[in-house]
Amino acid sequence: MAEGGTNLPIVKLDKTRLEQEVGEDIDLILEKIPMIGADIERINPKEVDIEFFPNRPDLFNDIGVSRALKGFLDIEKGAPVYNTETSNHGLEVTKDVQPVRPEIVGAVVKDLKLSEKDIESLVELQEHLHWGLGRDRKKVSIGLHDLKDINFPFKYTAVEPSSTEFTPLGFNEEMDLSEILKKHEKGKKYGKILKEKSRYPILKDKDDKILSFPPIINGVTTEVDEKTSNIFIDVTGTDRDSIEDALNILVTSLSDIGGKIYDLQIHGVYNRKTPELDHKTYNVDIKDIKELLGFKATKDEIKDSLKKMRFGAEINGENVKVNVPPYRADILHPHDIIEDVAIGYGYQNLKPRKPNIPGVGSSHDIEETGKQLREIMTGLGYLEVMTLTLTNEKNEYINLNREIKESVEIENPITEEHTILRNTLLPSLLEILKLNQHRELPQRIFEYGEVIHPTKEFAKDCYHLSGISIHSNANFSEMKSVINAIFREINIDYELSKSDDKSFIKGRRAEIKHKNKKIGIFGEIHPKVLQNHDLVHPAAGFEIEANKLTNEINN
Amino acid sequence: MDLRKHEIEVLKALGELEKSGSRGIAEESGLKEEAVLSAIVKLTKNDLVEVNERLITRYKVGEEGERFLKEGLPEEEILKYSLDGKNKISELNKKLGKNKVKVGLGWLKRKSLADVEKGEIKPNEKAEKWMNKDKKIKKILRAIKKGYNTKKDLKKEFNGIEEGINELKNRSNSIIEEEIVKKRFKINKRGKNVLRDLKEEDTITDLKPSHLKDGSWEKKKFINYDIEAEAKPKYPGKRHPYQRLLDKVRRIFRDMGFQEIKGNTVESSFWNFDALFQPQDHPAREMQDTLYLKKPDSSKLPKEKLVEKTKSMHEKGNEINSKGWGGTWDKKLAEKPVLRTHTTATTIRYLYKNPDPPQKVFSIDRAYRRETIDATHLPQFYQVEGIVSDKEVDFENLLGFLSEFYERMGFEEIRFRPGYFPYTEPSVEPEVYVEDLEEWVELGGAGIFRKEVTKPVNVNNPVLAWGLGIGRLAMLKLGLSDLRELYRSDIKWLREVPICP
Repeated sequence: MAEGGTNLPIVKLDKTRLEQEVGEDIDLILEKIPMIGADIERINPKEVDIEFFPNRPDLFNDIGVSRALKGFLDIEKGAPVYNTETSNHGLEVTKDVQPVRPEIVGAVVKDLKLSEKDIESLVELQEHLHWGLGRDRKKVSIGLHDLKDINFPFKYTAVEPSSTEFTPLGFNEEMDLSEILKKHEKGKKYGKILKEKSRYPILKDKDDKILSFPPIINGVTTEVDEKTSNIFIDVTGTDRDSIEDALNILVTSLSDIGGKIYDLQIHGVYNRKTPELDHKTYNVDIKDIKELLGFKATKDEIKDSLKKMRFGAEINGENVKVNVPPYRADILHPHDIIEDVAIGYGYQNLKPRKPNIPGVGSSHDIEETGKQLREIMTGLGYLEVMTLTLTNEKNEYINLNREIKESVEIENPITEEHTILRNTLLPSLLEILKLNQHRELPQRIFEYGEVIHPTKEFAKDCYHLSGISIHSNANFSEMKSVINAIFREINIDYELSKSDDKSFIKGRRAEIKHKNKKIGIFGEIHPKVLQNHDLVHPAAGFEIEANKLTNEINN
Repeated sequence: MDLRKHEIEVLKALGELEKSGSRGIAEESGLKEEAVLSAIVKLTKNDLVEVNERLITRYKVGEEGERFLKEGLPEEEILKYSLDGKNKISELNKKLGKNKVKVGLGWLKRKSLADVEKGEIKPNEKAEKWMNKDKKIKKILRAIKKGYNTKKDLKKEFNGIEEGINELKNRSNSIIEEEIVKKRFKINKRGKNVLRDLKEEDTITDLKPSHLKDGSWEKKKFINYDIEAEAKPKYPGKRHPYQRLLDKVRRIFRDMGFQEIKGNTVESSFWNFDALFQPQDHPAREMQDTLYLKKPDSSKLPKEKLVEKTKSMHEKGNEINSKGWGGTWDKKLAEKPVLRTHTTATTIRYLYKNPDPPQKVFSIDRAYRRETIDATHLPQFYQVEGIVSDKEVDFENLLGFLSEFYERMGFEEIRFRPGYFPYTEPSVEPEVYVEDLEEWVELGGAGIFRKEVTKPVNVNNPVLAWGLGIGRLAMLKLGLSDLRELYRSDIKWLREVPICP
């Protein structure tokens, strides 16, 4: 269990603006925010940085957060209703664009009075949506346009990269599309999405004025600023559900700050009217809610919890009819609604109860074996160490004077140090001795842990025990006594035979065999291996493939 | 008079040696020199030993002297060139430096080995012979380095030592002369008496079998030891403190009636992501966050029926009234092997094989992320994970298990906040109050597996699941500020960190 993705969106919320919009004191707001599902990253004098969960893109700016908080704080509850005015705004989708970036939806929002803060907040939302829903614009990309200098109907089509020129945002000269990919910062960053496409998507108006080159950049003609009162939004992408979610989140935000929403008639390859802002309805069985959450809330409490979470809710016999507002992109299944019942009710109001479920506790055989072996090794005066399983061919094979063997190999290593998974433990122990040269001798260390062996079909974890002793008198017979002690204690027979493992000195190394199968190795470490680890004292070590003995040890 | 063991041993040694420096006594008695000196203080105070102080002249090789040994004397260097015919002073200045040439010429003239005419050096007939001779002052320098460093020592080694020393003194920084006080100790009459008394064997230093066999110990006096004296530290063989912590977690689960399971480090994307309903375009699945493999580069998917069910769950959710993720689920992506990014991969595999309730299992193993190494991040870390699968378990039961688990881990205050994980719904982030930090610390995540996860593996009841990244906890418990220290295994730290922290 752990969250995926390292770059969850951090939403910056302006404290004063939030107080104004929510109508509550900032301290109360900050206290409540974690309880609707978010982590406060840091609190600055003017702003708070909050990490919202990636399943709630509607909370990716202050407008959405205020809306949710108003419900949670009992200021304004239930599902907000958004109306779409009918218009004759048209947009044609051509066949050419289908193989490139097939889907488009859009809307017009009028009568806006945008402040500088509003624009900042819209840009922030747009960026987070590009990341969260859009998978870095691959799946969804958004364009916001000032309607002032352009005329309907629009056309969404695909063109040859060199055939079309326009001035992209951030530049003051015209460029063709391939030039934009080469020269424009956004082109360089997102050009990979259009790799291997021979034609690029273009959105233009009645007079062939370029609105945008999705998913890369808009044209300068339609730049939005504080004077903008009417906005056209285009959302293009590969997945219809996701672009509709993004559009709905944007238009509802614009509506919340006073805009009036008008529809867009899309025709051509497909016919659709967007945005689609009706509530979706779920009938959730109250029994299911109680069974999943286990709590004893009344029907009214369930209804109220849902309304606090900005759902519409009506009790209908043994069901509750839930209206889901159009910006909620995270509702896949009734359980997603049931979780919101719990959040609205307050996790702090739930009563933890531990049921009696039968079960006999046991640890895994591998760990039982480990317990025995660790007891023997510490009894022999060895200190246990822990090392990383990620390593490289030099540390694993070359420094050990061994031939390079096949290992599990990383495709996208983050450093040259960690390119493979270890096959044996002894190299890790030698590395530890290297790090501890300045510490007092004798040093005796051991590790019991997993090594990963490639197999014909895949790879498997094996558990080894390895130990090493370094001091001025370390030698073969010291190690032989250790091996003898280990096998005496685990009560398993073994024989020795000559070994050819070059990590050890010839004539001072032996293979450990059990029932004629090799299960380990020990001996005096080869001087070359010692030098490779900057060690200046003799050492002797061993490695036992303990997993081959697990059954016998535990019986 | 109460003499301690060391003091008696020093006295005995002096009895043998009559007169000696501290090093000699140390050798004779087998004690460390410091121990000898501290015993001497006591012995002189009690007037058993006399101290003789002498001034001794001692030499050390200086910086310039070291250079003579490595490069030769300046006059040697000059002669080497001029005997080869390269005798223009201006050229030598360039090669050896003006200063060295000036000093070297001075000595050549003084030893009348060469003359200077019109800016050229003319070595005379003695020069070549001189060049081939081992120079006395170099011999002296070498002897000093070997440890013959007092005037007395050197006199034994060389004839006419004064002359050589004077020459070295004239060459600045070639030797350093210092006067040191050398102490010699002599046992006096009183000391000898004490020693004689001791010899009458009425005391015991080390208790021996003979003392016990004949009962002679009864008539003897035990020599007192200095109970304040330093004893050599001893360190037992020990478990790694982090392993000990993991073991504690293992014990807690076992005590709560959970069975331990294990999985593989190398997993297919199918079990690591798809079976857990992680959409195929989820950012966590990108190369940037997950370690993918070059070898092996593919994996065998499980039975066709499970693959089909998983595919349709991702694409349309179907039978359980879920929307699914939409789009097309690609088998190829599911086949890509990864280093498991969480041990939940082990859990879901187990549930597939053991779908019938009740089940209470746990795992403690390593998970891998593509993280740059720093004080709080490592590409691999231990994860602790537990699940409870039964017909009538619910979210409040999950909170109950969590409370008990964290309580047994030693945290008294626990609170719950909403959380988000792609495979659980509802989800929760438990937090514990850490006294030392005076703050709430998030210690993992938990939830009830989504039906999108349990349905394809034929589990038809709720499954409570929780996981704990344990590195943070280990740092708190062991007082470390850098996660890397856990794996660096500094032997000094391992020796000194107490088993009971």
